Amino acid sequence: MKLIKNQNQQGFTLVELMVSVGLGMVILGVITTASIALNRSFAAVDRFFSTHVQQVRIIDYLNRDVKRSNIAEISADAQTIYCWVPKYVIQPGDSDATAGNINTRRTPTITKTGYGYQVDYYPSTSANGPGGTSTNNSAVVYSISGKSILRTEDGVVTTVASSTDQLVDQVTDINLANSGYLSTVVSFLPVFTSSGANVERAGTTVYSTAYLRNMRRGN
Amino acid sequence: MKTYVQNEDGSAIICAMGTILILSIIGANVLMNCTTRYNVTSKQVSAWRNALAAAEAGADIAYAETRKTFTPGATPFTGTGWSSPDSSVGPWTYTMPTPIGGSGNLLATATVDTLPVNNLLPVDRGYRYYRIRSIGTSRVSGLRRTGMDDTPARVGASFGLAGARGGGDSLVRKIDFNFDHFIATYGDGDGNNKRVVSVPTDANGQPMAQVSRRIELVAVPILPTGRGAITTSGSFYGPGSAGVIDSFNSNNGPYDPTVAQGGNPLPQFYSDSRDGNVICGGSSFTSLTGEIYGNVTTNGATLRTDRYIYGTVDNNVPVVVSPQPAVTPPPSRVYEAGSPATINPPLNNPNCGGNSPDSWANAPWYLYSQLKDVTINPVAVNSTPRETYVNIVVNGDIKTNLTINKGANVRIYFTGNADIKVSNFSNGNVDGSALLNIDGTTSTNHSASAHVQFYGVSPTAPATQTINLDANGKPTIEALWYVPGADFISKGNIMMYGVVVCKSFYENGDCYFHYDKALANMLPPNDYRIASYVEDIR
Repeated sequence: MKLIKNQNQQGFTLVELMVSVGLGMVILGVITTASIALNRSFAAVDRFFSTHVQQVRIIDYLNRDVKRSNIAEISADAQTIYCWVPKYVIQPGDSDATAGNINTRRTPTITKTGYGYQVDYYPSTSANGPGGTSTNNSAVVYSISGKSILRTEDGVVTTVASSTDQLVDQVTDINLANSGYLSTVVSFLPVFTSSGANVERAGTTVYSTAYLRNMRRGN
Repeated sequence: MKTYVQNEDGSAIICAMGTILILSIIGANVLMNCTTRYNVTSKQVSAWRNALAAAEAGADIAYAETRKTFTPGATPFTGTGWSSPDSSVGPWTYTMPTPIGGSGNLLATATVDTLPVNNLLPVDRGYRYYRIRSIGTSRVSGLRRTGMDDTPARVGASFGLAGARGGGDSLVRKIDFNFDHFIATYGDGDGNNKRVVSVPTDANGQPMAQVSRRIELVAVPILPTGRGAITTSGSFYGPGSAGVIDSFNSNNGPYDPTVAQGGNPLPQFYSDSRDGNVICGGSSFTSLTGEIYGNVTTNGATLRTDRYIYGTVDNNVPVVVSPQPAVTPPPSRVYEAGSPATINPPLNNPNCGGNSPDSWANAPWYLYSQLKDVTINPVAVNSTPRETYVNIVVNGDIKTNLTINKGANVRIYFTGNADIKVSNFSNGNVDGSALLNIDGTTSTNHSASAHVQFYGVSPTAPATQTINLDANGKPTIEALWYVPGADFISKGNIMMYGVVVCKSFYENGDCYFHYDKALANMLPPNDYRIASYVEDIR
């Protein structure tokens, strides 16, 4: 059997080539566009989740500190929260601190005040409240600095939410009611990237209410 | 036969696979991030919050045991799950026998001990103050390898045995994936017995991540007359538009009407004037715009602070008012003969074991079917009245006239109603002053109200007692009223000093009610309440 060589060596015509290249570019363009859109969408979802995680973190921090506060106050512009929490654990620098009792729990003393029994953990007073208010509690302050929310406990600052995830704080509206609870609204504008520019979309809002357990004076 | 060799050159499949690969890489990358976030928000946050619920459940169980202290026939800290090296003095430990929670992932342990007596007020050292420490533990489900979000400030490893943690989620939600960080770092909380404790393992021997939260509560006894001016288990109505409820402390002197209004600088005993608390155990609270210098609590009302209430308002406070049992003379004590119109307590009384009436324990007992037109005198030494004590049991009603002369202390236990024309009621004792006791020592009783104490024996429900105070003009009555089964009604512009504990309180006049804080410790505690809540956030 004789092998017959394929003699057909004709190429594509110019028209065929242009059509095929054109089709290929269209398909590639579609794929590229889809990829970019998908990437952008995923990035948006990621940022949304990140935003939500930080919202939840703020609420968790606030709830924890408000619940254990003796007193909670808000600033006039509702952007700063002051919590006075009992100094439960002996820290270096406290008036009753010794070499052997750092990081141990205090035993409270009980007195009577106009509000009934008052349980005090820290025997001394210190000027650690806003405006130098003397108190025997730890001062925990929540404040907004730029695009970050800071938590400051006795001067130690922790950033509990930041702009690294492209968060834009919109409103932190806090209302302290008479009966001793803190109702908090934390809203952020997740940032989406569109045409090379950051675009703010509809904000996400988390509501929370925490009771001051120490302020509750059951009878 | 001709065989053609097909052209096998091509790139379609390669292009397709490349595209899929690129998309998969993008998708996997984002999915990984999203899964981390999802794991944090749905699993770890949930577990962290549930751990507090478990801790509070353990604390609630312990608190319920402390309240058994005043429940007849009940022995606290003896139920299922409780143990103690010495059940009479504690400490007592509770271990939840079975997990709780929707998927049985929550456990709690609680330890109860009593506060050292030196940390209490001397006057309160006869009572137990309980410290409740509770640990709630929740298992953390979800993906183990996706950790927490420490985006704000990544500062090193999150879960080390030494307790080093990051700056974001791991700082607030301290999850133990392999070892208990708290025991490793703080031992029992005070640095004792530090050790490495692994988290529990599942059926496959894999560690089950968990999160623990620790809270400490202090339960203090409730003094029935120490809560405020007026305590009801039901409704409250009043005070009139020109009425006032405030407080003072007779140990610091007589009532001063200018103190409550304050001043600049504040008067010395200003703080004593703002405890005219009203504790309403029902949802019916009617304010007639009289001023209340104190806090108001209700159990379900929709009251708000206004310019008439100078304290706080809490509408979520249940009230426990213990019934007043019938009282008879204790063993070795018998009633005095007859029901005299004038009581002159005898010295060296054989009906009281030969004792003189120098204390409540040595007070003579008198029995009446109705108390009306009665005068009570003290023992006098050299014509000077001395502090003298008298018990009266009334199996019926109380009516005026009633005269309690200076120096006489009287406790009146009655089963019927009280109908008192206040202008015909006389308490000769004076707030802020103290007489000598029979033995010549100086009395510490500076309260006129403490000298006259009314105890209404609680009727069997649904029966109700009625206390009716009626006035012409502006008469004064100083007394302690513990009438838990009574509807207390005040008509007219009465000047009341003392304290009232009743079923319901109604006053339709411009009554002035001055709560004497010296009465706070007149009755023993009947319940416990939580006075402090702290969380160990280490």
